[in-house]
Amino acid sequence: MVDFVTFLDITISGIGLGALYALVAMGFALIYKVTGVLNFAQGELALVGAYGVVILGTSSLISTPLPAVAAVGATILFGIILGIFLERVIFRQFIGEPVLSVIIVTLALGGIFSGFIRFLLGPNYRSYPEALTFGFSIDLPLGTSISAAYALAVALALVVVVALMLFFRYTVTGSILRAAASDEQAAMVLGVSIERTIALAWALSIGITAIGGVLLAMSSGGAGFSIVATGIIIFAAVVFGGLDSIPGAFLGAIIVGLLQELGSFYLEGGSAVVLPVVDVQLNFGAGFGEILPLIFLLVVIVVKPYGLFGTERIERL
Amino acid sequence: MTASEREAVSADASAEDEETPVVELDNVEIVYDRHFLAVQGVSMSVDEGDIVALLGPNGAGKSTILKMISGIGRSERGEVSRGRVFYDGEDVTNNGANEMVDRGVTHILEGRRVFEDLTVEENLRCGLYRGGRRFRFEEDDYEIAFEYFPQLEEILDLKAGYASGGQQQMLVIARALIHRPRLLLLDEPSLGLAPKLVEDIFETLVEINRQEDITMIIADQNAQRTLDIADYGYVMENGQIELNDPADVLLNREEIKEFYLGTSGDGSRYTDIRHYKIRKRWT
Repeated sequence: MVDFVTFLDITISGIGLGALYALVAMGFALIYKVTGVLNFAQGELALVGAYGVVILGTSSLISTPLPAVAAVGATILFGIILGIFLERVIFRQFIGEPVLSVIIVTLALGGIFSGFIRFLLGPNYRSYPEALTFGFSIDLPLGTSISAAYALAVALALVVVVALMLFFRYTVTGSILRAAASDEQAAMVLGVSIERTIALAWALSIGITAIGGVLLAMSSGGAGFSIVATGIIIFAAVVFGGLDSIPGAFLGAIIVGLLQELGSFYLEGGSAVVLPVVDVQLNFGAGFGEILPLIFLLVVIVVKPYGLFGTERIERL
Repeated sequence: MTASEREAVSADASAEDEETPVVELDNVEIVYDRHFLAVQGVSMSVDEGDIVALLGPNGAGKSTILKMISGIGRSERGEVSRGRVFYDGEDVTNNGANEMVDRGVTHILEGRRVFEDLTVEENLRCGLYRGGRRFRFEEDDYEIAFEYFPQLEEILDLKAGYASGGQQQMLVIARALIHRPRLLLLDEPSLGLAPKLVEDIFETLVEINRQEDITMIIADQNAQRTLDIADYGYVMENGQIELNDPADVLLNREEIKEFYLGTSGDGSRYTDIRHYKIRKRWT
């Protein structure tokens, strides 16, 4: 049998992990929604966020590191500036060109980002400053608890998803971003600057992704290259939500987080679930939790190609 | 030279003396992708407050001309490779869309290009944007839209993609009006609409032209309807202007009657004349 409190605990940490993914996933969905680009550098951008704090907030590269909170702020700011910079230098050249070219460019960018960080800091795991590794947990009712990093992730992910939904629904700029996504030329004859639209989308997206990267690192005490793998995991989340839907990406990420946590706990042998009637132990061996979201991705693509909330005219994958 | 042509020439000459035209094309050649010649040797002039009809069959170059005036053609790799385009007497050849919008030119593209995923209200909201930022945002901004298209007020929360064809056409015109343009370029506003709706929309366009003092260029295949409301007309064929006259003169020309209006008196059918080279008969 399944112990209920343990189950709740695992569920809560699944939601926490999902919230971490949600930030990265929403950054991805935002770019797809506004520019139609599948950003295959998403995992690497999260990595940039994670290592940004290492570079600015520890003495690994600079002699007088910034205070921890300032380092996080500066990293997010750097993400926003990086978005504007990428539009100026790269994405602007591709306006009016097939979207596929930009998708290929994101693949290249991903390689460049992770390669550059490896060049600066080497391939090893780097711990975060003391102030950012919240070791404590917050107690919740029914004897459960949530780690502080996860709690922060849940709060921030909720803030971001609500803020983005309000932004797209109620502001002129938000409407313009959606309009440009829906018909670029019709937006241009209304005086919309496509360059600014793209710059804004990338700045917002990389800013949010950087927050996600920092929180991912915080939840494990420091930055490591395993964060890049998040780029694939959040893909499952975003496809489930429907690629161009921000709340969809949020929900998808929570589900992926839950699948991963519950899968690792119950299906990998340790406290394996025993099916009562046939008396079979569900034990798929170590690491199954991590591939469970990908199996889920396959099923979603087959059953519901446009995801939960996706616009149905988007291309199939 | 016929009497009507002489009239046209003298009208042109007197207009030049009085005021600078809003738009003037001087012997313009437009090339797409550096190789594809779309429009050749086109000269036209549009006076302040006029409605100018730009007529001709599919592929004659009507849209291309509108696109080069509004600057949107640049984003499709179009280029004025010879000649000049003037707006208000200033050289605006090959300017971008943003700059032309700032100067008060709003282009309504062919095919009722509403933003389908956005509601009607959100579509109108996009008209509040100009030059990369929103330029006014008050409740009565939409008033000009509702004044001419009161129907829209009832469907504000409808997704524009689900609106009827007529409503969509109203929406794109209303969205453009919120811009308060000086010059409105309309590409095929009657395309695919029921005759009654076309009637209504053209009537509204005349009202807008008179009351808001907005100059218009209307490219349309519906020659009769367009010439009825226009002050002046240009007829294009194969990327060149074949005829230009005041609208009432054009309406009475035999070539126009035969080829565009189908009201020629001698009972000739289209099948009898289609193998003629149209241009030959016009020169």
